[in-house]
Formats: sequence, C-alpha cells, structure tokens
Amino acid sequence: MSTITVLGLVLLILMVLVGGKAGAQSFLALILNFGLLYLAIVLVAFHFSPLIVTLVVGMLVLALTIFMSSGDDLSSTVAFIASAVVLVVLVLLIVPVENWALVQGFGPEDSEDLEGLSVLVGIKFVQVTTATAILSTLGAIAEAAMAISAGLSEILEQHPQVSTTALLGDGIAVGKQIIGTTFNTLFFGFFGGFLALFIWFTGVHYSFGEILNDKIFVSEILMILFAMVSVILTVPITTWVMTRAVAGQRKRAAKQENN
Amino acid sequence: MQVLKMKRGLLWAWLIAMVVGGILVWGTAHDAAFYRDPIMQVTGVTTGKTTKETDDFHNVDSQTKQVLSGKILNGKYQGQHLTVSNVYSYSRAMDQKYHVGSQLFVVVHSRNGQSLTATAKDSKRDTTLVFMVWLVVALLLLIMQFSGFMAFLSVAANGVLFFLAIVLNGSTQGAQVLWIFGSLAVVFAALTLWLVIGANRQMLITFATTLGGTAFSIIVALLVFHVTHERGMYYESMQYVTQLPRPLFLAETLLGSLGAVMDESTDIISSLFALKRERPELSANQVFKSGRQIGSTIMGPLINVLFFIFVADTFPMAMLYLKNGNSWGYTFSMNMSMGVVQSLISGIGIVLAVPLASFLASRFMDKKKVTA
Repeated sequence: MSTITVLGLVLLILMVLVGGKAGAQSFLALILNFGLLYLAIVLVAFHFSPLIVTLVVGMLVLALTIFMSSGDDLSSTVAFIASAVVLVVLVLLIVPVENWALVQGFGPEDSEDLEGLSVLVGIKFVQVTTATAILSTLGAIAEAAMAISAGLSEILEQHPQVSTTALLGDGIAVGKQIIGTTFNTLFFGFFGGFLALFIWFTGVHYSFGEILNDKIFVSEILMILFAMVSVILTVPITTWVMTRAVAGQRKRAAKQENN
Repeated sequence: MQVLKMKRGLLWAWLIAMVVGGILVWGTAHDAAFYRDPIMQVTGVTTGKTTKETDDFHNVDSQTKQVLSGKILNGKYQGQHLTVSNVYSYSRAMDQKYHVGSQLFVVVHSRNGQSLTATAKDSKRDTTLVFMVWLVVALLLLIMQFSGFMAFLSVAANGVLFFLAIVLNGSTQGAQVLWIFGSLAVVFAALTLWLVIGANRQMLITFATTLGGTAFSIIVALLVFHVTHERGMYYESMQYVTQLPRPLFLAETLLGSLGAVMDESTDIISSLFALKRERPELSANQVFKSGRQIGSTIMGPLINVLFFIFVADTFPMAMLYLKNGNSWGYTFSMNMSMGVVQSLISGIGIVLAVPLASFLASRFMDKKKVTA
C-alpha cells in the first residue's frame, strides 16, 4: 500500500475513535473536498472560467465543511450564510489586488520545474492565481464562521432573551478569543509550506528589495494576508447574520403569539 | 453622550487609519530612490503585432510585442529617457503586460550616444504588498482592538524568529534543518501561548498538549514511512528545494501542524477551564468527556484549513501539467501528493491532540490535586 493510503487509514481510524460518527463524517467531508478541488483544476484546464468555477466549488466546499460537521441547525445555517457572504466580499478584494500585483503564473524560481513544459496554454494565469488565492482561504473562512456562530448560539442558549445589540458585542468578544490562535494556524500553515522558498532566498542571497518585489514571494505573502482578512471579516459578518436570524425568529414567534 | 463620544472616537480611528494607509501607499509608489536597481516609469506604450502560437498539445496562445518609453526614476541614470521592448502572451504565465504608469525594474546594458539600451526585468510590486499589510493591520486594530494588537504582535514575533532560524539554517548548509526547526517549534509554541494566554497553569497544559500532539504526529508519520517504504511519495516533486529534501519536508510538516494543534488545544483547554469555573463539582472523567466532545467538533474544520493551504497552492502547476498532456494520476503524483501527505500527518496530530488535551486538562487543572 502507498504511504498516502496508510496515512489516510490511520487518520480515519483515529477520527472515528475520537469523534465517533462525527469523526467519520468529517473525514468524508475532507475526501469530498479533495475531489472538488481536483475537479476545479480539471474544469479550468478544460477552459471553464476560473472565477466562476472557483465560486461554485467554493460554495460547495463551504456547505460540505459546515453541514457535515456536527452543530445545531441555527449555528450551521448562520455559519454557512456568513461564510458565503465573506467569500463574495473576498472575491471583490482579491480580483483587483491580484490584477494590481502582477503575480500571475510562475516566477524565475520555477524555471527548473517548468523544464519541458509549455507555458503558452491559452488560459489567463491572472485568473488562475486569483482562483488559487480564493481556494486557499476556504478552510479558514469555514472554521472561523463555525467557531463564531457556535459561540454565539451557546450564549443564546444560556441567555435566550439577550438583545440583538448585546449580541453584536458578544460576537466581537468571541472573535477576540479566537483571533490570536487562528492567526497562528494561518502563519504556521503557510510558512510551513514556504520554508523551502525562504531557504532559497537566503541561500541565493537575494537583497531585501529583490525579495519584496519577487513574484513568488509577493504572491505567497498575499495569500496569507487574504486569509487573515477573511478571518477578520468573518467575525463581524457572522455576528451580523446571527443577529438577523435571531431577530427574524423572534418576529415570527411574536406573530404566532398574536395570532 | 457617552455613546456619541465613543462613536466620534471610532470615526477618528477609521479616519486616521485611512490617512496612514494613503501615505504608505503613496510613499511606496515613490520609493524608487531606495533601490539600487534602476526602475523605469512607463510614459508611453506602442503595441506591435500579435502572432498566434500553437504548441505540441494544441494549446492556442498569442504573443504580442510592445515598445515602452519612459524615464529612469533612480540611480546614476535618473531622469534619462529610454525605450524598452517587451513581449507578452495571452496567458501571461511568465511575462508581463505593462501600461502607462507601470513601474518596472530594468537592466541597463550600455549607453550609446543619447539613448540608453535596456531590457525589462520584472514589475515593481512593493506598493501592493504594503497596501495589503496595511489593510490587515488596520482591520485587526479597528475591529479587534487590543486582542488584535496581541495577535499581530505574536505573528510579528514569530516572523522574526522564523527569519533568524532560516539564517541559522543557511549558515549550517541545511544539515541541521530538522533540529533547528524542531527546537524552534518549542520556542514558537511557548512564545505564542505566553502572548495569547499569559503565564499560568492553563498555558502550561496547552503548551504540553501542543508539543505532545505535534511530536506524536511526526512519530506516527515516521512509522508509516518505515512500514510503507515511502511508496508514492515523490520528494523530487517538492518546489524550490536547495538542500536534502526529506528532513526539509519533515520540518515543513512539523511547522504546518504546530499552529493548528496549538489553535485546537487552546480552544479545548480554555473551554474546559471555563467549564470547571462554572461547575466546580465536575469530576475529572466528566471534564475529559466534554473535552472530547468539543474537540471532535472542531478537528474536522481545522484539518480542512491546513488541507486547503497545503494543496490549493499547487493549482497553477497542476493545471499546467494537465494542459501539457499528462494523465490525471501523474499530475496528482507530481504536484499534490506531498501536500496531501502533509495534510494527513497534520490531521493525525490534530486528532491526537483532542484526547491529550482533554486528559491533561482533566487531571492537572486542579491545583490541590497536584500538590496532594
């Protein structure tokens, strides 16, 4: 058996042992997410618009990740709506910034890997790089939205009559608790992935100015920064969606009482 | 009145952030004097003819010539006018289309008579970078205030440590990469948890869980590598490798899972401490059980975070492989297999940290129990 199969089996067994049915579901979500990601690449290679493919795949990934993890209905629904809103806002930020930064495609550091490959493939790489940046933030958006909405629904459970203005403050308070550690997840996740690149920069003695304008470096750092923006935006947006949902619920309840 | 004052304060804060951002962006757009390499500002573009290109795999693309005229902004050629020719393709994977107003680095070859001859090297990108850094810091401070500042501080401190470690790695020619980044992981974890939680018992338990979870995942990974003889792992597919790939890969994985395991154990353990404060009568076993429950809801999404970071990054190269007539399987092996292995190893660490965090928190939370 290959290493990937064995590691996958070990992960599945551990997830079932620790989380039971929820663990098995999360594992299934992970596999489906991989399938969706690969599907996105294949579709773009078949000349479907990278942005539309990314938006559709992104929504599916968010839905899968959020609804296949355990959680009550209200908090899952709120988390999904909020993360979808964040995704749209993020696209509006990433598209102009990627066009401005001119970091599409590959840099001189990639030339060894590109040997023997034709790069003139007739697909706009600005859009491919934009799609990459959006996809890499999906996990972080889903995680942050779920954490905030779960925290808020717990507060609602303990104090069912809390006012919507107070709930707004609570959301920011929950966000403050998670922001420090979430940032570190992103920092280490990305920097772990780029370790080889940074070692390259010091090994080949790039100057500070060269690094700051390097295509690959800027593109990678922009990805971290997009992920951080998405996590920060998730906090107020999830809180706002939750207050709307609660206000709607209360209105309906009041109407029923009047009838 | 109080509310009005607060609102006005907030308005001022947003206004100041905007002004600072404007100054930073304007400043980096005019910082050519700090660079040693000559920078050219484009003032005129004439577009030449476009030729159609078809490669061996029937991919249709086009290449267009453009002649850029402009002046040098810095260095000994400052103020001199020059023209540079440039070629860009429709897909623009390795080239660049410049517009009036673009700033780019050029390599000046010689001076014959009045005009300079030079070739375009690469675009100037520091303005975009500074804009995005400003956006993150401003949003962080305006929305999260003090907690945002602490989060920023811990990322900045870790960034400095990371840089020092890379320099140290370079000075040892990469022979000690796993030791350097392994011991760095310990320092990273201690520093971050101290900044986020503070120096107390809760921090110690979280610290122990973080190290334990990460170490276990690496041990499990090494065992699996040994049993399967690393079949299906293509170290040669790793990008930008300048030293022995295997220890480098392990160091990358170690760092990648460290942050997520730390995130998760912080969440579990702080919830358990809060639970115990509210209901001190809970027994150690009950605390362990609720820890497992909290952990099993957050582990899935966390594994996902790392999965998308590790694997989405391979999108452009994987697509290029497919467009160059490679099979789906080969494209996966050469681009995504290492990222998937990394996500799986981190996932194992994240899952193992759940019982570890619950166990350590349930046994060592009470001060009395430890001293007794």
